[in-house]
Amino acid sequence: MVIPWIGYSLSDLIKRVEPLPGAKYLEFVTQADPQTMPGLRGGYIDWPYLEGLRMDEAMHPLSLLTFGMYGEVLPKQNGAPVRLVVPWKYGFKSGKSIVKIRFVEKQPVISWAKSAPQEYGFYSNVNPTVDHPRWSQASERRIGEGGLLDKKRKTLMFNGYEAQVASLYTGMDLAKNF
Amino acid sequence: MLRQVLRKPLTKFGLVLVCLMPFAWLCSGIFLDGLGPNPAEYLIRSTGNWTLRFLCITLLVTPLRVVFNMPELLRFRRNLGVLTFIYALMHALCYSVFDMGLAWDEIVADIVKRPFIAVGFAGAVMLSLLAATSFNAAIKMLGAVRWRMLHRLVYAIAVLAILHFFWMRSGKQDFTEVFVYAGILGVLLGWRIWHAAHSRLQARL
Repeated sequence: MVIPWIGYSLSDLIKRVEPLPGAKYLEFVTQADPQTMPGLRGGYIDWPYLEGLRMDEAMHPLSLLTFGMYGEVLPKQNGAPVRLVVPWKYGFKSGKSIVKIRFVEKQPVISWAKSAPQEYGFYSNVNPTVDHPRWSQASERRIGEGGLLDKKRKTLMFNGYEAQVASLYTGMDLAKNF
Repeated sequence: MLRQVLRKPLTKFGLVLVCLMPFAWLCSGIFLDGLGPNPAEYLIRSTGNWTLRFLCITLLVTPLRVVFNMPELLRFRRNLGVLTFIYALMHALCYSVFDMGLAWDEIVADIVKRPFIAVGFAGAVMLSLLAATSFNAAIKMLGAVRWRMLHRLVYAIAVLAILHFFWMRSGKQDFTEVFVYAGILGVLLGWRIWHAAHSRLQARL
């Protein structure tokens, strides 16, 4: 799905709060209200849902603090009032309804990596050359585009943002840091 | 009364018709745009779910027949088994067409590389063996004993189906439904073991 998000660069906020030099990572804590979110009772991850970014990822102008989509204020189910959108990671790493942002020194343990470490790593970059343990990530279907029988399209490195973000990961083994 | 209804040919026909309703409903969903935002995924998942459900229903026939002493039920077992196969076939077809775009080399690579797919494929192959020998001439050709041995594969199929479903859900650790189906199939297989042991004991006495 290709979604016209509305927001501003997370880096604007980060610059404004002047984090200490020891801040290497950001941890995002999201809303966990059992009153309005009955799904929390299922409890298959350790709520609240936690996300994280490395400082340079968070400072990248494409990392978006998001308040709206399709020209309208973000609906509740899409993460109102404010969520993260990191476009080179699909919908991964895009915590919804953020209630707290912590600047931390060590890489935070994010919710999916905690619940299924063999399946999800910290980075979750879109990478057609690294298979998920249970499926290939070489191709994708854009929801809302074309018919049922249309061929899937080849997935692009970093979701097509290779020119903008590849430099963040130079020298890193992306098969290990998936 | 119930026994008489069960004996009627129309009942068998009606049962098959009812069992094909999910299939008809999915087909209508394709044309009426009723399958949500990702119809391909919806079709793959729901045909898989229906395969599991029909596997449970098929394996329920024998326990019901024995417990309620209703030999009439046996008449439906073959139909239900073939219906299980039809849903499994749809599941495999949906995966091959919608997920893999009928690229056979990629499908083969997927089966070899991913245990989750390999297990599903193995179950489907076994199920087609059973479907291919589901007519009277096949029983005659194989001989009843060998035929029965072959059709015990259905227990292996049940185990593979649960493993396939478990691996599918292990990404988000969402196992509630997996445990429900595993519980049902576990009871149905457990009853058979208990029943076999029990009858053997009685035969000895």
